[in-house]
Amino acid sequence: MKTNRMVSVIWHFIIFTTVVILIFPVVFSIGVSFKPLADAYNNVLNFIPFPLTMENYAKLFHTLPVVKIVFNTFIVASVVTTFKLITSFLAAYAFVYFDFKGKRILYFVLISTIFIPFTVTMIPNYLIVSELGLIDSVWGVILPQLADAMGIFLIHQSMRGIPFSLIEAARLDHISHGRVMKDIVLPLVRPSVTSAGIWFFITTWNEFVWPVLILKTVDNYTLPLALQMFISSEGGTDFTVAMAVSVITMIIPLALYLMFQRYIIGTFTSSGIK
Amino acid sequence: MELIRPVKTGFRVSQKAIARLLLFPSILLFSVFTFWPFLYTIYLSFFDWNMVSPKKKFVGFENYVHVLTDPNFLKIAVNTFLYIAILLVINFVVPYIFAFVIGIVLKKWTSFYKGSLFLPAFISLVVGSILFTWILNPVSGPVALIFGWLGWEMPVWNKAQGWVILVLSLITSWKVFGYNFVLLYASVNGISKEVIEAARLDNIPLWRIFFRIVLPMSSATGIYVLIMTIVQGLQYVFTPVKVITQGGPDYASSNLIYHSYHEAFVLFETGHSAALSVITMMIFILLLVLEFKFVERRVYYEN
Repeated sequence: MKTNRMVSVIWHFIIFTTVVILIFPVVFSIGVSFKPLADAYNNVLNFIPFPLTMENYAKLFHTLPVVKIVFNTFIVASVVTTFKLITSFLAAYAFVYFDFKGKRILYFVLISTIFIPFTVTMIPNYLIVSELGLIDSVWGVILPQLADAMGIFLIHQSMRGIPFSLIEAARLDHISHGRVMKDIVLPLVRPSVTSAGIWFFITTWNEFVWPVLILKTVDNYTLPLALQMFISSEGGTDFTVAMAVSVITMIIPLALYLMFQRYIIGTFTSSGIK
Repeated sequence: MELIRPVKTGFRVSQKAIARLLLFPSILLFSVFTFWPFLYTIYLSFFDWNMVSPKKKFVGFENYVHVLTDPNFLKIAVNTFLYIAILLVINFVVPYIFAFVIGIVLKKWTSFYKGSLFLPAFISLVVGSILFTWILNPVSGPVALIFGWLGWEMPVWNKAQGWVILVLSLITSWKVFGYNFVLLYASVNGISKEVIEAARLDNIPLWRIFFRIVLPMSSATGIYVLIMTIVQGLQYVFTPVKVITQGGPDYASSNLIYHSYHEAFVLFETGHSAALSVITMMIFILLLVLEFKFVERRVYYEN
């Protein structure tokens, strides 16, 4: 099987190169965020931070209300995640265990909203948020993001896998829906609820398009907006500080990645999208 | 009528009431933030308005006429299809092949590959945009330096027609690639191993295994990723366009999504923006219908 070996080597090379291209920017930014500006400019290719300096972070904390911005981002991400998980879980439960008129159509319509481009809803949503007096507020960022069918879809897929007889038996024993949900269904779908939760948290943490319309003052910014202030196509004089903001933006998602990466891939692999 | 019946006969009634109660939060949220806005955008597309004036002037199809006859429209439409084409190659075709190779051909390092290809999916695209503007800086970035040693010239991509779309698509792909790969991998990996082993024992070449077995048997997920690559890919592209080029130079990196945003929140022409959004939506629906007509029929569903 000589040809097979050659084929393997070539593919390993191609895929490994792709991995390097994808991972390199992350490693690079972490390294550069600890380098003095002059050094970063003169030794472009050397991203190992030696001499190591904290001056970029010091400067960043000096120019921006970093703690407040991280706090805003955290509030938005946790509130959106919590509400989306609860409403999605309840809706998925209704779709799986109840029969009612128009169920299939309602499910189809809700899931179809995944395919609606954001531009189709952005002006009216902006008007709603403005009408509620929530422009430049984290609540204005939170509210429209709660309507997302992805959670209903993921949890629905995983609930369908539970043997129906289990729920039927519990119902015949007069166990309330509340307890069936909490003691039978939730433990069984916990992996996909957890994965969906982590995924929502990261997506909302990283969300840029909607907050950029709503938030106006630096004090109310979320991390991706703060980061955008440092972009200029010329590279910018505050390049190393920009790398420091990037690192702060990445820390939580990277930590969640290290903890849950296998878990999330596992959920995708077992539940699958069909 | 049914609702006032006593508990004994009302078992099914109370069931319905519970279902309504469970669905109520979702339906409320979707009505307020998705369905109503959807209809209101269609409504706005027939009016001349600037988002602040108390009066909206009914103009019929004038906004559509204006948008479609705008000298930049053709450019923006062509850009949109260029983005779609590039994203389809990088975020659909390549991850599909990778899923096949990592799931079936290679035996070693597969979980390392899966994990590391997935990593950028966790990171903000604004981070990606800022990193790549530096790394791909045509004068002082690391790639430009390496190009310099090799005697190549790095194109000034953020100022050049064509190049700018390619680079912005690549930046977007940095984030989307791994996510699509994981979905496709899950599906490819779910195919019965016996079928593939049998084919390999018969010395059937890999490309034929891919086209004859893997592609048809993973097509349900394949279709989903294909549609998402188009629909969400264009929306993901918004971020690098907004932070790096703002649609420039001279609309060279704009697309239907970005232009719709630009009309609404930079030029305050809600009518034009709404008309563009409706046109974008129609194109997406057309793509979905075409897809259902020509591809879905042949899709293999496991259950």
